[in-house]
Amino acid sequence: MKLLKKAPLRVLLFSLLSMLAVAVTGTAQKQPQNVEVRIRAILASNQSDEFDASLKGLEKQLRVLKYRSYRLLNDESQNIPRNGNKVFEIPGGRSLMVAPQEFQDNRIALLVRLTGGQKPLLDTTVRIANKGNFILGGPPHEGGVLVLSISAAMQ
Amino acid sequence: MNGCEDKIASIELWLDGELSGAESESLRVHMAACAGCSEARRRLEKLQSTLTGVLLSEAQRVDFMPFWRAVQLRVNEKRPWYQDALDWMRGVLPASRLAWVVPAVIVLLLAGVSLESYWRGGAGRNAFATVESIDAYGRNVALLREYDTKTTVIWLYQDQEGENEAAEESAPSGPAF
Repeated sequence: MKLLKKAPLRVLLFSLLSMLAVAVTGTAQKQPQNVEVRIRAILASNQSDEFDASLKGLEKQLRVLKYRSYRLLNDESQNIPRNGNKVFEIPGGRSLMVAPQEFQDNRIALLVRLTGGQKPLLDTTVRIANKGNFILGGPPHEGGVLVLSISAAMQ
Repeated sequence: MNGCEDKIASIELWLDGELSGAESESLRVHMAACAGCSEARRRLEKLQSTLTGVLLSEAQRVDFMPFWRAVQLRVNEKRPWYQDALDWMRGVLPASRLAWVVPAVIVLLLAGVSLESYWRGGAGRNAFATVESIDAYGRNVALLREYDTKTTVIWLYQDQEGENEAAEESAPSGPAF
């Protein structure tokens, strides 16, 4: 311990520990253990001009679709382990299976499978930025269409 | 001169004025009594005198003016700004402090990089998603990328024929994007 009283050695030790910490943190960031997937099911229609206040954060993205009314039907988040998958129940007897595939450059590749009853409707693999989202829409529902916002964040 | 070999070095030092008063006095007494050392002293004094004469005469022939002018130029020369900055840095940050500053700067840079990476993650909320594969099992699909909001939309046009769950619902037309 006497050696540690020498400033240059302390500085060297401090630097090495800092670099080690950064290296460990960097590695940990590249290898997330879980992905939090959030599915927001929204009913888009032209039956009114109502815009659900809870969808404020998605307003600009939803306005792209040119419907007059947007209402949040369901909001569900699940932690999905690495190489695992989870099924989300979607209004209208549909379900959405989400499986994280790959993490690279702060982006997540998600395999998404939409089924209606037992029928597969859509299989897609989408690569999104960490904490980013994409929109999946089109299935008819209650006089409008169902719009899903699918977002993912590394844990 | 027997046993006086060590005195020669003392005589050289004495001639150069590098002996103390007591040592000089002791050496003088010895040289007065020792013919060998007295002779050595005479030879060394002659050598010193010759060398001094030669150096003085040669020095008179040397033109020292260019040398002094160069010295004066160096003295009057305006120091570049970076020299002043370096001197200021040395004053503010001595080597011991600088040893701490270097790792601190490294840590700050790494923190900056991490923050930028975190920020990019947050900003990714609006970053484009890229569709790598898509299979709608024979149905029509539209893919839209809206640049202002950086939104990626996959739109599934469900065919009403044969779609039991959809047949019960009124079929709206697709969005006008």
